[in-house]
Amino acid sequence: MADHSSHDPLAGIPFDRVPPSGAYGAGGAAGVTVATTDTPFIALVVARNGFAASVAGRLGRAFGVEVADQARAAIGAASTVVGTGPGRFLVLSKTEPDLAGTLRALLGVEAAITEQDDAYVTFDLAGDKVPDLIAKGALIDLDPRVFLPGHAATTVIAHIGVTLWRVHESGWRLLVARSLEASFTRFLVASGAEFGLRLENGTAGRG
Amino acid sequence: MRIPCPYCGERDAHEFAYLGDATLTRPDPAAAEAEQAFHDYVYLRDNPAGAHEEWWYHANGCRQWLRVARDTRTHAISGAVAARVAGEPA
Ligand SMILES: [Zn+2]
Repeated sequence: MADHSSHDPLAGIPFDRVPPSGAYGAGGAAGVTVATTDTPFIALVVARNGFAASVAGRLGRAFGVEVADQARAAIGAASTVVGTGPGRFLVLSKTEPDLAGTLRALLGVEAAITEQDDAYVTFDLAGDKVPDLIAKGALIDLDPRVFLPGHAATTVIAHIGVTLWRVHESGWRLLVARSLEASFTRFLVASGAEFGLRLENGTAGRG
Repeated sequence: MRIPCPYCGERDAHEFAYLGDATLTRPDPAAAEAEQAFHDYVYLRDNPAGAHEEWWYHANGCRQWLRVARDTRTHAISGAVAARVAGEPA
């Protein structure tokens, strides 16, 4: 039995509050699970003119992944490097509290680094129905036959700016500006209710 | 209308902001006729029926300026290159 009915899964939840953890919509096994419980350290790397290839190479060697200057996610055990524009990379790390400092030491004058730890909420979406859910708000083709593991895109979903990538066969990661967490979660719940959606959040901010 | 961004791939026009004519060149402010040249540069626009080159900014994507070749009669877009790259829209 679902916590929140499929008739109106957002009934009674204020627009400016993030919907609470729980099961939404259709009962039975959830077709989509959504978690915002992972809080990686995040930094933005912008290569200075002429250094994009060099920066990509340094990032790849430092984090043990294959980084190219294109819209791809290079996924390692502890770190992920995502291309968001020419010479622009978002770096996520599970293990580097001073990620920006580490990157400054690594890249020196070749890039400008800004810490983004609290800028984004990390949505981890899993389940076979994820492409059907996201398709309701996306302008790009996320069909699993086209958008493969390691593919990344910076785009809009439900009119909200998103950087997303496919982590593995049935897992997608979406970064959304923190101030839009409530709105984006409402989109996910409303669009995923027909498949049954399990939401897990409620971690306190890093502060 | 979809614009083939060189970095992002084909994207919906809603992701972009439009600026305008990409064929203009900023006049030399030190030239003798600079005042008239700047008036033309800022205010006067051709309105071609057919092939046109335009600036589009990929605001909800890679955040790069593109030079886009569009047919104003059909909206057919034949190519786009990053503004930072010299040359014709491919
Ligand atoms: Zn783009």
